[in-house]
Amino acid sequence: MATLTTPAPRTALPGVLRNQAVRKLGLLALLAAVLVPLADARWSSGTWPHALTVDLTAPLTSASDWIVDNRDSHPLFLYFFGYLSNGVVLSVRAVYLVLLGAGWAGVTAAAALIAWRAAGVRLALGTAAAFLACGLLGMWVPTMQTLALMIVAVLVSVVVGVVLGLAGGLSDRLHRALRPVLDTMQVLPAFAYLLPVVLVFGIGVPAAVLATVVYAAPPMARLTALGLRGADKEVLEAVESLGATARQRLLTARIPLARKELLLGLNQTIMMALGMAVIASVIGAGGLGDRVYQALASVDVGAALAAGIPIVLLAVVLDRVTAAAGRAGDGEPGGHRAAWAWAAVSAVAVALAGRVAGRLDWPDSWTVAIAAPVNDVVDWMTDHLYSGVPLIGGTADWAGHFTTWVLDPLRSGLQGLPWWAVLLLVAAIAWPIGTWRTALTAVLALAATGVLGVWEPSLDTLSQVLAAVAVTLVLGFATGIAAARSDRVERLLRPVLDVFQTMPQFVYLIPVVALFGVGRAPAVAAAVVYALPAVVRITTQGLRQVDPAAMESARSLGATGTQQLRQVQLPLARPALLLAVNQGVVLVLAVVIIGGLVGGGALGYDAVFGLAQGDLATGLVAGAAIVCLGLMLDRVTQPADRRVKKGA
Amino acid sequence: MTIMPATRKPPTADTDAPVFSVDGLWKVFGPKAERVPADPELAALPPAELRARTGCTAAVRDVSFDVRKGEVFVVMGLSGSGKSTLVRCLTRLIEPTAGTIAVDGEDVRAMDRTRLRELRRHRAAMVFQHFGLLPHRTVLDNVAYGLEIQGMGRAERRARAKEVVDKVGLDGMEQRRPAQLSGGQRQRVGLARALAVDPEVLLFDEPFSALDPLIRRDMQEEVVRLHREEGRTMVFITHDLGEALKLGDRIALMRDGRVVQLGTPEEIVGSPADDYVREFVRDVPREQVLTVGTAMRSASLEEAGAGPAVSPDATVSQAIEAVARSGGPVRVMDSGRCLGVVDHEGLLGVVAGTDPRSGPAATTPGSGPAGAERGAAPAQGDPGSATSGRAPGSRAVGTEPRKEAV
Repeated sequence: MATLTTPAPRTALPGVLRNQAVRKLGLLALLAAVLVPLADARWSSGTWPHALTVDLTAPLTSASDWIVDNRDSHPLFLYFFGYLSNGVVLSVRAVYLVLLGAGWAGVTAAAALIAWRAAGVRLALGTAAAFLACGLLGMWVPTMQTLALMIVAVLVSVVVGVVLGLAGGLSDRLHRALRPVLDTMQVLPAFAYLLPVVLVFGIGVPAAVLATVVYAAPPMARLTALGLRGADKEVLEAVESLGATARQRLLTARIPLARKELLLGLNQTIMMALGMAVIASVIGAGGLGDRVYQALASVDVGAALAAGIPIVLLAVVLDRVTAAAGRAGDGEPGGHRAAWAWAAVSAVAVALAGRVAGRLDWPDSWTVAIAAPVNDVVDWMTDHLYSGVPLIGGTADWAGHFTTWVLDPLRSGLQGLPWWAVLLLVAAIAWPIGTWRTALTAVLALAATGVLGVWEPSLDTLSQVLAAVAVTLVLGFATGIAAARSDRVERLLRPVLDVFQTMPQFVYLIPVVALFGVGRAPAVAAAVVYALPAVVRITTQGLRQVDPAAMESARSLGATGTQQLRQVQLPLARPALLLAVNQGVVLVLAVVIIGGLVGGGALGYDAVFGLAQGDLATGLVAGAAIVCLGLMLDRVTQPADRRVKKGA
Repeated sequence: MTIMPATRKPPTADTDAPVFSVDGLWKVFGPKAERVPADPELAALPPAELRARTGCTAAVRDVSFDVRKGEVFVVMGLSGSGKSTLVRCLTRLIEPTAGTIAVDGEDVRAMDRTRLRELRRHRAAMVFQHFGLLPHRTVLDNVAYGLEIQGMGRAERRARAKEVVDKVGLDGMEQRRPAQLSGGQRQRVGLARALAVDPEVLLFDEPFSALDPLIRRDMQEEVVRLHREEGRTMVFITHDLGEALKLGDRIALMRDGRVVQLGTPEEIVGSPADDYVREFVRDVPREQVLTVGTAMRSASLEEAGAGPAVSPDATVSQAIEAVARSGGPVRVMDSGRCLGVVDHEGLLGVVAGTDPRSGPAATTPGSGPAGAERGAAPAQGDPGSATSGRAPGSRAVGTEPRKEAV
C-alpha cells in the first residue's frame, strides 16, 4: 500500500522538486518575480489601481433608462418580451385562480391524493397536515401565490431542461457546448440571476418566474443529459439490433432507461424553484417569500417565522414526495390508471363539496397567530440571552466578538494587501489543486471585480466567505468523521441533514436574526448552517466509501484507529473532501450574498440596494461581481480531475 | 463434461447456398481507418506495429467465411480476438471498413437505412452477453419488443410472445421484470426476444459467458434443443472451446482479428493448423471429439467378416468401450459395408496423440489426408470446401443430424 511505504530517495532530482505542487509554486514565484515589480512600478501597490477600472455605471444607467423608456414601444419588447411577460402573468394568474377556486379543502385533498399515489399513505397524511398547517398559520393565500408561481416556473423549467437535456444527451457537440455553461450556472448564487432579468422585465411576476426558470432548469438539463448518456450500452445495442428507428429507440428505450435521472432532475428542479421563488420576492414574486422579506426588513421575527414555516413544510413535502416517486421504480403496471382516476375524482368531489358549503377561503377563525408569542420569546431572548449571560456571554456578544476578532481582521487584512498579492495568493491556491486553466480563470475572475470597480466590497464579501467556510469545514469535517466512524451518530444525523438540505436559503436568515440580530456575523452564521449539511454528508460518504480492502490491510498491519484515519481513510477520501470544500464554498457564497438583506453589507447589500432603489447600475455591477466571485471560488477549489470523474 | 462429437450434414447442393457470405472483411478502429485495408503494406503489419504507425487497431482482418443454411457456425477466440466485432459487422451494428457481406446473396454494405432495418427486424436477431433487456418492461413485453418495433398490434404480439416464452421454458413468469429473474432466466428472455421475430439467423454474442457453469450447460442444451427442433441457422460467438466443440457444426478460430483455422470440431482438434491452435486444443479430450476414422486401419478379410461393429460417426471413446468389451478389434460398419477396423493400438494412439496414423487413418483412402490438408489450410480459401474435401465414404454418409445423437 502506497501510504505505508517510505519513498525511496532518488538522486536525480532534489526531493522537493519532484512534488508537482512545489514545481507549480516555483514556477508561479518565478512569474511573480518578473511581473510584480512591473505592475508595482506601473500602478503602485495597495488597493486596486484606479487606472485599471472601467466605470460601467454610466452605460448601464443609460441602458436601463433606455429599456424603461422603450419597454412599451420598441418592437423587441412589444413582440417578444411583451408576449413572454403577458404569457407568464396570465398563466400564473390562471393557476392561482384555479387553486383558489378549488378552495383549501380541494387543494389539500388533491395534494394528499397525489402524494398518496406517488409516495404512499404516510406521505399523503404528512402532505395534508403540511397544507393544513399553512392554513392554520394564516398563510393560505400567500402559500397559494407561491405555489402558483412555482407550478408555472417548474413546468417551464422542466420543458426547457428536458429540451436542453435531450440536445445534450443525443448530440456530442451540443453536450460539449452546454456542459461548461450548465456547470457554471450551477455554482452561481441565486441572487446573481435576479438583476439581468429585472433589467429586461422590470420588477414583477414575469421577472420572478423567469429568474426562477433560469435558476431551476439547469439541473433538469444536466440530469436528463446524464440519464440519456448513462443508458446501458448493450440495451441500446440490443434495441438497435432489432431494427428500431431513432425515434423508437428514444421513446421506448433511452427515455424509460433514464427514468431515475429524470425524476431526480424533477426533484432538484422543484427544490431549486422553491428556493428561488422565495428569494424572487425581492423582485416582486409576492407570496410567502415576500412576507418573510417584509418581516425581515422590519426585524419582525414572529411574522417572518409564520411565513417561514409554510416554506419549510412545502419544501419538505415536495422533496419527500418527488424523491419517493423516483425511488418507487416500477410499480404494478395494472390498476395504475384506475387509482389515479379515482384520486382525481375524489379530489374534484372534495373541491365541489367545499364550494357548495361556501368554504373556499380558509376561515379566519381557524388561524393561530404565532407572530406575537414568537416576538415575545424573541424579546425575552434579546433581554436575557443577547449579552451578560454568566460565563458563556450572550449570543450578541458572540456575534460581536466574531466580528471584531475574525471578520474585521480578515477583511482589513485582505483589503490591506497589495492587489497583486491577492491575485497571486489566489493563483497559488488554485494551481496546485487544479490545472493552470482553473487557476487562470480564478485570477481573471477576481481581477474582473477590480475592473468593475468593486474591489473593496468584493474583498469584504470574500472575507465573510472565508470565515464562514473555515467554520463550516472545521465543524463539517469533525461531524463527518464522527458520522463515518459511528453508525449511531450517522443514524441520528441523517434525518436532521435531510430536513436541513431541503430548506431554501432564505429561511436560514430567520433564526439567525432572532439569535444574533443583524450584521455580518448573522450572515456568516446563516451561511455556515446552510452549507454544513452538504459538507457533513459528502465527508461521511467519502470516508465510508474508502476501499474496505485498504482498511482491512491497514488493520491487519496493526494500525490504530487514528493511524487508519490519517494514513488510509483521509488520503483515499481526498477527492470527496475536496468536493466537500468546493460545495461548501459555493453554498456559503450564496447565503453570504443573501446576507445583504440582514446587514451583511458588501456585494449583497449593493445588489439589494440596487433592486430596492431602482438603481440598476449599482445592482448590475454588484451582480456581475458576484458572478465573478462565484466563478473564482469554484475554480480555486476545483480539483483537477473533476472533469474526468464526473463522466457524462 | 462430455463433449459431443459433431456429425456433419451432407453439403448437398441446394442447402449449400450460404446465408451469410463474408469475404475479405476488415474492421479497423482509429483515424483514417480505410487506408489500412487498402494498403497491402499496412495490412500486413502485426497489431502493435500497426498501432505505432497509424494509431489504428484492426479488430477484424481480412476475414472470409460462409455460413450455410441450418448450420451452427461458431466463431471462437480469446477476448480481443475480434470475434464480437465480427458478429456486429454482420448486421452493421458496427460499420465494416472493407470487404463484402452478403445475406442470401444481397449485399449488406450496400443496403440503405430502410433495407438494413428490414434485415435487423426480420432476418437476423441477436442474443447478447449481458442480455440487453429493458428493465422497465415485463418479460412478456421484453419478448414482444421486437414485434412492437415492427409495428405489430398489442394483442397479436403478446400472443406471439407468449408462445415463445413458453417455448424457452419461462411460462408463468410473463409478468415479472428482468430484475426479478436469475441470470439464466434473463438469458432465456433474451433468447425468446430474438426468437419472437422469427429470424432466419440467430446471432449469439457470447450469450452464456456471464452465467454459472451449471446454468451455462442448461442453456447450451437449450440451444441444441432449439436447433434440433427448428433447424435455424445460428452464428455463435464464444471464448469457451468446450462450448464451441459442443455446439458448432463448424468453428472459425480467431486470433488478432484473423481466422487462423476454419473447420469441423474434429479437424480443429485432430489437425490443428498451427502451434497456436495446437496449444489451444491441447487439453481437449481427443477421444470424445475425434471419430473412429482417425484410429481405423483397413480390415483383413476375416476381421471384416464378423465381430462387433460401430458406426463411422462413433467417437473414439465409444469405440474404446466397444473394443474393451469385445477384447478384440471392432469393425467400422457403414450400411452393411465394412470400412475398416479399430483395435487397442490404434485407439490408444489417438488418445495419446502419438499414433503415426493419427490424423485421419491413412488406410481409409481420401478421408485422412484430405481432412488433414483442409484443416491445416488457412481459412481464407473457399470455406465451402472445408468439408467437401472430406472422404465421401466416412463422412458424407454419417447423415443423421448430430443433435439426434445427443
